[in-house]
Amino acid sequence: MKYSIPKFWRRKEGYYQVVLTKCKECGKVAFFAYVRCPYCGSSNIELVKSSGRGVIEEYTVSYNRVEGGEEYLPKIIAVVKLSEGVRVVGELVDADPAEVKEGMAVEAVLRRFSSDDPHGLIYYGIKFVPAIRR
Amino acid sequence: MEVTKVYVVNSALVKIDRHFSKGYKELANEVISEVISKSGIESVDLVVVSNMFSDCILDQLDISTILMQNLGMTKVRALRVETGESSGLAALETAWMAIESGAAENVLVIGVEKVTEYPTYKINKMYGKVLDYEVEFIRNITPPDYAALVMKAYLKKFGLKREDLISWPVKMHDNASRNAYAQLSFRISPEKVFTSMVISDPIHLLDTFPLGDGAAALLLTSSKAVRNTATEPVIVAHVDSAVSTQFHLREDLTRLPATAALASRLKEKFGNKVLTEAAIELHDSYSIYAYIILEELGLAERGKAREIVDKLEFVNVSGGLKARGHPFGATGVYQIAELYKLMTEGFAGKKFDGEYAIAHSMSGPDYNARVALLQKLV
Amino acid sequence: MFRVLCVPRPESLTGIVGWGAYIPRQRVKADEIASLWGFEKTLPKALWIEEKAVASVDEDTVTMGWYAAKVAIERGNVDPELVGAVFVGTESKPYAVKPSATIIADALGISKKKLSTDMEFACRAGGEGIRLAIALVASGTIKYGLAIGSDTAQASPGDVLELTASSGAAAYLVGPASESVAQFEGVVTYVTDTPDFWRREGSKYPSHGEIFTGEPAYFHHIMTAVKMLFDELSLKPSDFDYAVFHQPNGKFPLQVGKKLGFPKEKILPGIVTPWIGNTYNGSALIGLARVLEQAKPGDRILVATFGSGAGSDAFSIIVKDGIEERAGRGPKVEDLLKRKKYVSYAQYAKSRRLYIRNIG
Repeated sequence: MKYSIPKFWRRKEGYYQVVLTKCKECGKVAFFAYVRCPYCGSSNIELVKSSGRGVIEEYTVSYNRVEGGEEYLPKIIAVVKLSEGVRVVGELVDADPAEVKEGMAVEAVLRRFSSDDPHGLIYYGIKFVPAIRR
Repeated sequence: MEVTKVYVVNSALVKIDRHFSKGYKELANEVISEVISKSGIESVDLVVVSNMFSDCILDQLDISTILMQNLGMTKVRALRVETGESSGLAALETAWMAIESGAAENVLVIGVEKVTEYPTYKINKMYGKVLDYEVEFIRNITPPDYAALVMKAYLKKFGLKREDLISWPVKMHDNASRNAYAQLSFRISPEKVFTSMVISDPIHLLDTFPLGDGAAALLLTSSKAVRNTATEPVIVAHVDSAVSTQFHLREDLTRLPATAALASRLKEKFGNKVLTEAAIELHDSYSIYAYIILEELGLAERGKAREIVDKLEFVNVSGGLKARGHPFGATGVYQIAELYKLMTEGFAGKKFDGEYAIAHSMSGPDYNARVALLQKLV
Repeated sequence: MFRVLCVPRPESLTGIVGWGAYIPRQRVKADEIASLWGFEKTLPKALWIEEKAVASVDEDTVTMGWYAAKVAIERGNVDPELVGAVFVGTESKPYAVKPSATIIADALGISKKKLSTDMEFACRAGGEGIRLAIALVASGTIKYGLAIGSDTAQASPGDVLELTASSGAAAYLVGPASESVAQFEGVVTYVTDTPDFWRREGSKYPSHGEIFTGEPAYFHHIMTAVKMLFDELSLKPSDFDYAVFHQPNGKFPLQVGKKLGFPKEKILPGIVTPWIGNTYNGSALIGLARVLEQAKPGDRILVATFGSGAGSDAFSIIVKDGIEERAGRGPKVEDLLKRKKYVSYAQYAKSRRLYIRNIG
């Protein structure tokens, strides 16, 4: 086992869904579930779910070879602006680099981030694909 | 209480390379012996060790203790500092705070890193841990991906083509060709940047640092002890650091917020000239960051850094992270050592006669940044 | 003479409230597989298989089932907290032990107070999941039940099965008939111990009886289940507008449909295999989704699943008002069929981990 079970399990809601941290103090909204507002540090926050729909702002095709990640290369890492106006950085899959364009509509889907060796846990999480649903 | 200044009185470096036959103890020993022996300082009361990867690569916790045990330097105060890629300047920051406050008198700062213990794909994975493990690493985001996104955002924002940003690696290699301690001391042509492998498009291999082992040491003292030194002292006038927001939370992806904050604080305390007239060693982990750092430090207008690169005489004289190398935890210590030498005996074929020198270091995409201001003794 | 009370069949208290499908984007051509392994070039045509869908390296039964289920729940516009059962029928579980159903359920915010399990019966477990959901809803035990059929079908490289074994998923949200747009009229399941196709514990690929998988297995079980259904509901082929069958290739559903007395036109709309391959637990259920997305109120649909081992469920479904509006609420099978990218055999082999690598 390479990753800690509780470490992944306790955060899985934020991995399996697109969760945003909304600050009632400064009004800002951030992608991911934080313990306090990552902008102003306030504890007066609430977690909300995003529709997972957005558009591409920027992207890169990466060949960066890290141990255990070989079969997922080349990968596309994209900056996505969610419909809620919040920015998220994540993997874009089911897309050819040539067809990726700024402004392209995407939707969040559940995929495998990685897995331990053949005997270990599988880490599922949200990635983005060019929008399938109208 | 008497106000004490902090001084660097000596430095020692090891050539950055794949030192397969030397472990961290051997490399550290080389520079520690050299830095103490010629200084005229008898003993050290605090040792600050900078090392980023000891837990992952060396399977060693509490490396400051183990190193002291192995060097027969027991009874001394020792601790290890780690702030990602900027650990070296964090070690200096700690030493500076200790002397300034009167807590210590003679401090040894030692930066050491061994990245060649493992193959590149393993190091690449560990290096990714300077990012938030739970927010970024597990979601397959790595540091070069961020640099690539920054470069794309920068090219788009300022209407530039990729070819407009190749001068930096060429200049770094040219500088390193005169630096005996550099890992890559060969010149390159602009075309070579493009023919080198793509890591994360549009970042090529020659836009970023090689992996190499290194060790560097500094000896720092207080106003009281500096009279006893045999070597030329340089003042450590100020050390500052800042933490910035995570990448996806930033408004403008072409800014480095922590570096910007430090530049603004330096300007406020010491005036504009300190930045524009200083000799500088900055953290060019990726060439795009170099351009932006120059702009954040006020040496060029936003989007125009590429126009001044060829005119920079005293910026990254060492060849920077790009060509001198980036032994992670040791890098910040190398920067101070290089600036110290540049201001005293000369370094890489140059001598700087100006009053100030600045070392700038950061981790990941400016997740934290650190600056150290050196001042010539007049 | 005894007076026989007419008791409504429990199935008729329930219907399809939402449905969804998922087809991976990658496709590999059957011709390329046939050519590599020395199959005679007219074989794909004889089986009526053109290309098959290939799950990506980061996809599996869980991720595909999740998508189909998400579409089903959103199409049904149902609060996930009210779903009382989640079943995943599959023969390609990412974990031999650890349910896929719970991962999908938690990822969709479905109530933790529920029945949930992964089920194996070769290709028909997804259909059995629908039957279980029907029974739970009809008995008043739960409000809504979610039945998913999802597979990344395995086939030994070089085996004729490789021409068709593919990846895909479908999901059905069963609920009260009053909230459904397709009501269950009746269902019959016929199951025997017939070893036509199997995979031993620890084996990477299944074994099968080739010609034995035909008459004694596929044809016998489907035809028996369907005839039992006709009998119980007093229906005949002409009462149906569509006939959807489990489809290991494009030819079998046409053959079994013909034997049962259905004209080609009623069978073709439910055939998807020639373009996506045999998605095992997705097979008949993706075909049904495609039919639901073109059916009109009042249409009667026959669906016959088949799973080796062996068994078949025969459903009679009556389409109701509102079917078109509900179909329009989410991506359709047509959208998924159109979303494709051709890959080489090598890329397909990499995606499905057919290579032995130094990992772990």
